[in-house]
Amino acid sequence: MNIARVLLVVAVGLVMQMALARYAVGGRWAFDLVLVAVVYAGLAWGPIAGMWAGTAGGLIQDALSGDVIGVGGLAKTIAGLGAGVAGSQFVVSQASSRVATVVVVTVGHRLLLVSLLAIVDQRWSDISWTAMLVEIGVNGLAGLIAFKATELAPGAVRQSRQLRRSSLSKRRW
Amino acid sequence: MIGLASFRRTLVLFLLLSFGHVLLISAQVQSGSGMPLMQAAAFGLFASVQHLTSGVADFTRSLWSNYVALQGVAAENAALEKRVVELEGRVQAQSAIVSQTQELESLLRLQQSLVAPTLAARVIAGDPAPGAFMITIDQGSANGVEPDMAVIGHFGVVGRVFGRPTAHAAQVQLLIGRQAAAAAFTERSEATGVVQGGAGSPTFEMNFVDGLRNVQVGERVLTSGLDGIYPRGFLIGTVERAVRGSGGYSDVRIQPVVDFSRIDVVLVVLARPDRVTDVVRQP
Repeated sequence: MNIARVLLVVAVGLVMQMALARYAVGGRWAFDLVLVAVVYAGLAWGPIAGMWAGTAGGLIQDALSGDVIGVGGLAKTIAGLGAGVAGSQFVVSQASSRVATVVVVTVGHRLLLVSLLAIVDQRWSDISWTAMLVEIGVNGLAGLIAFKATELAPGAVRQSRQLRRSSLSKRRW
Repeated sequence: MIGLASFRRTLVLFLLLSFGHVLLISAQVQSGSGMPLMQAAAFGLFASVQHLTSGVADFTRSLWSNYVALQGVAAENAALEKRVVELEGRVQAQSAIVSQTQELESLLRLQQSLVAPTLAARVIAGDPAPGAFMITIDQGSANGVEPDMAVIGHFGVVGRVFGRPTAHAAQVQLLIGRQAAAAAFTERSEATGVVQGGAGSPTFEMNFVDGLRNVQVGERVLTSGLDGIYPRGFLIGTVERAVRGSGGYSDVRIQPVVDFSRIDVVLVVLARPDRVTDVVRQP
């Protein structure tokens, strides 16, 4: 596990979250790209990386959203652990199984967050099932794009390098 | 053996991190306040990145809308010209009313009503976490923005400045948020209460409304200024439902006038209620 890579993934997730959420504030579109980054770290580098990603991402999100700091951190740490354990115990090399992991972790994370907030606030807040469904869909899609992009990126770089080399070799001096 | 060692390491780390989080939560719950230093540090760190990402997004959007998607601009222009003429007429009518009011005030030797100074700001970032209902704007302490200043939109109240702003950015807690509230009154029946966000629910709740007041559906709900954040007279919404409940209070639901899913530009009211006695109401 490389801590710098884990933090970079979390930072990218956070910046993307805030940049895209600008167009969906207060609307029906709820998504959590930091959670997608946490699942990515857990699946790619194991449970320890997942937990560190969850702690870092969750704490920064808590600090930025003005909520009780630690609630999101704890929920995302558990989510990162879950994703890491799933990645190490099951075969999740296919994009579909990785997206399924994102979906399951999204549901678990939301329920955990609502429960933790209920303990802190001493009252249950309403769960919007529509918002949860939207979050599952958007998180799943974001996960699919992220996993596909990282699968295809090394191949695309290699291909472009080969193309450049072949064009140089064919050049007539 | 390696598997067992790895399992132990994972378990120990999980317990340590969980314990740390629980300690952090209980410290805040006991003290009743957040962690302002940590919040300020995190916001300061990400504010400049948000400026950058918002700049890139705006550049791409302007490239598209200013050079590529120009269909229908002529018709839009004509409609806007018509609207400008209409608004100019309204402004003149309002100016006449204001001058009449000022004359009356001076005649009656009353303290003159001040129009709150405002500062336009662009939204540069959205929710850091789903359900937080916070936005980041591109104006900060360098432009006179202070914590708890009211933020309004085209039609009414949007929220308040949350936490300490950086030099060129500030966070705004939207009124639809879980922990947001504003002191308010209904225009006709003059019932006072506290408007609270529904955490994403399309309507607000108005709590502590006297059950003896005859609140009517369709009445406008305005800020009362009693909370020390929102100056008196800003529009929040209209009454959607009013039912006399048990315990002497009415159950009032309010339809907000602001569309919180489309906030692009906002106005920060650069004065606190103690410095502003009233604001000019919308026609």
